[in-house]
Amino acid sequence: MAEEAKFRCLRCGHEFIAPYDKDNPQERSCPKCKSNSVRRARER
Amino acid sequence: MMDVGRHPRIKLLAYSEVEEVSGYVGNFKVKVRKKARYVDEEECTACGDCVEVCPVIRPDEYQMGLSSRRAIYIPFPQGVPSSYIINIEECLGVQPIACGKCAEKCDKGCIDFDMKDQIVELEVGTIIVAVGMEVYDPTPLDEYGYTRFENVITTLEFERLIDSGGPLEGHFARPTDGKMLKRIGFIQCVGSRAERRGNPYCSNICCMNTVKDSLLLRDHYPEIDITVFYLDMRAFGKGFEDLYKRSKDAGVRYVRGLPGEVKEDPQTRNLLVTVENTTACRLEEHELDMLVLSVGLEPREDSKTIQQLLSLSRTTDGFFLESHPKLKPVDTSTRGVFLAGCAEGPKDIKESVTQASAAAARAQIILNQDKIPIEAITPIIDYDLCNFCGRCARVCPYGAIVDVDPKRKVPPRVIEAACAGCGTCSAECPVGAITQRHFGDEQIFAQLEAMLGERPEEKIVVFACHWCSYAGGDMAGVSRLQYPPSARVIRTMCSGRTGERFILRAFTLGAPIVLVSGCHFADCHYINANRWTQRRVERLWDRLERASIRPERLQLEWISAAEGQKFARTMRELEEMRKKVTPEEIEYTKQVLAEKV
Repeated sequence: MAEEAKFRCLRCGHEFIAPYDKDNPQERSCPKCKSNSVRRARER
Repeated sequence: MMDVGRHPRIKLLAYSEVEEVSGYVGNFKVKVRKKARYVDEEECTACGDCVEVCPVIRPDEYQMGLSSRRAIYIPFPQGVPSSYIINIEECLGVQPIACGKCAEKCDKGCIDFDMKDQIVELEVGTIIVAVGMEVYDPTPLDEYGYTRFENVITTLEFERLIDSGGPLEGHFARPTDGKMLKRIGFIQCVGSRAERRGNPYCSNICCMNTVKDSLLLRDHYPEIDITVFYLDMRAFGKGFEDLYKRSKDAGVRYVRGLPGEVKEDPQTRNLLVTVENTTACRLEEHELDMLVLSVGLEPREDSKTIQQLLSLSRTTDGFFLESHPKLKPVDTSTRGVFLAGCAEGPKDIKESVTQASAAAARAQIILNQDKIPIEAITPIIDYDLCNFCGRCARVCPYGAIVDVDPKRKVPPRVIEAACAGCGTCSAECPVGAITQRHFGDEQIFAQLEAMLGERPEEKIVVFACHWCSYAGGDMAGVSRLQYPPSARVIRTMCSGRTGERFILRAFTLGAPIVLVSGCHFADCHYINANRWTQRRVERLWDRLERASIRPERLQLEWISAAEGQKFARTMRELEEMRKKVTPEEIEYTKQVLAEKV
């Protein structure tokens, strides 16, 4: 089971959860606006 | 195959496996494991005496398990060399010899139980990848009953049953009772064009294969009633439509709709197929004696190993990616490595032969040269600045940077013939010791200074890769798509060249928004260089945030050459974002970065 992480779109601000593998980067896109400017949201 | 086997200038290594490939175009070194056959292939005359005495019986893979073979066998009748092999996993034992009947029987003494695998080292100038494909296993599609009903078979099994060299010697019959059948059905697109179960792509060959099979049946057994269940028939090749028409004219029935359920009559073992005929808009039930699943094609399971051996790229489907679909359809991302046949994607024999001929011709161009011209976009290393960290070698997708050793302070060396000029090494060098010819740091900085010299707050800096994003921008232009004039584009060969230094310099010069754009992951023309772009942008987002600069001002977008619409849309969206960046924010960014950079 792949690890999941929270991501935030830097275009529209939408937050979503998606599979995350640090060693195997995937092409990501925001499910809402389709932008690829998707950043992993860090836990504070 | 016989011609290949006998050709004086072709060295055929059958029953062998490539273990290691090193070097570069014109100078590849290939390590091949030639597996032990336990039969002297030079001496063996394929008389078959050994087979008669072998006590081990196993399903014959070539006959799709429909007949059997022995542990000593010829993989398929036309195999070259025409010599037997002992499958050592199946043999009763060679050390110590448990049976040895084959050796006793062989008059020529060809059996050698002491034979060992051999490592063959080859030096070659070019490599053609023609590893073929596999067929889809329909087991997950339970509604067709492939694992439950013996009279449901795949197209490959059908080929064996009807073949004169097959287990029935061409006397076609159904598996359950060996009787001649009266009604047969074909289901198309099994494992193809399916998002959830199977593969999303069309397998290209199945429609015409079924048309051919239907005509073959009609020719040999005119009394058989043939029904084909299909989504839509794709007869796009030369002469294919005529063949399809011939099949329909010959009485083959084509029903548009894929069956939802297949049941078996336990008495007759006949198959009851329920299908929605979407042309007639009615639910139909067909009683058939045999059902053939027209299974699609898949990449080989070991494609990933081959990909790693040769530093190739693969599409999301898993097939090997060509260098350019139109201009370099048989080249790969690694220079000197070419593709032929279904390794690149599903295709029929004609297309495979065409592609193989093209690959051979492309390879010959290289082999006929004494020297290979390369593009002058390779990196230059400043050895005074280099700190021998070895990062450049780690990020190079082609393994073109060698020798570097951080412990012994050995500097890196660039094999220019292997370098494709992506510029990732330059972008990733932490001390700026590497620059790329014609895409040098100073050249990029000069472009930035020129474009942001006046009213920088009105500009959006776009770093676009040559192959996809820049071409996407071109596509937007030639398509007359409207997007704001604030975009200022800097072209690099790969987005991997866009170093942190360039992005930070753009912000320092007052850019409100910076966009880094490149090929989609699956389309990267430099194997995986754009993965490093993504990692770098992610690092910069963190760095900008730590400096209290909004990371949103650095945008990332993967835009293909065909996505002019996406390029224009992205620029319109970024223009809206640019308007929201305040002069105070730009000034703060300039100050903070001027101190830090």
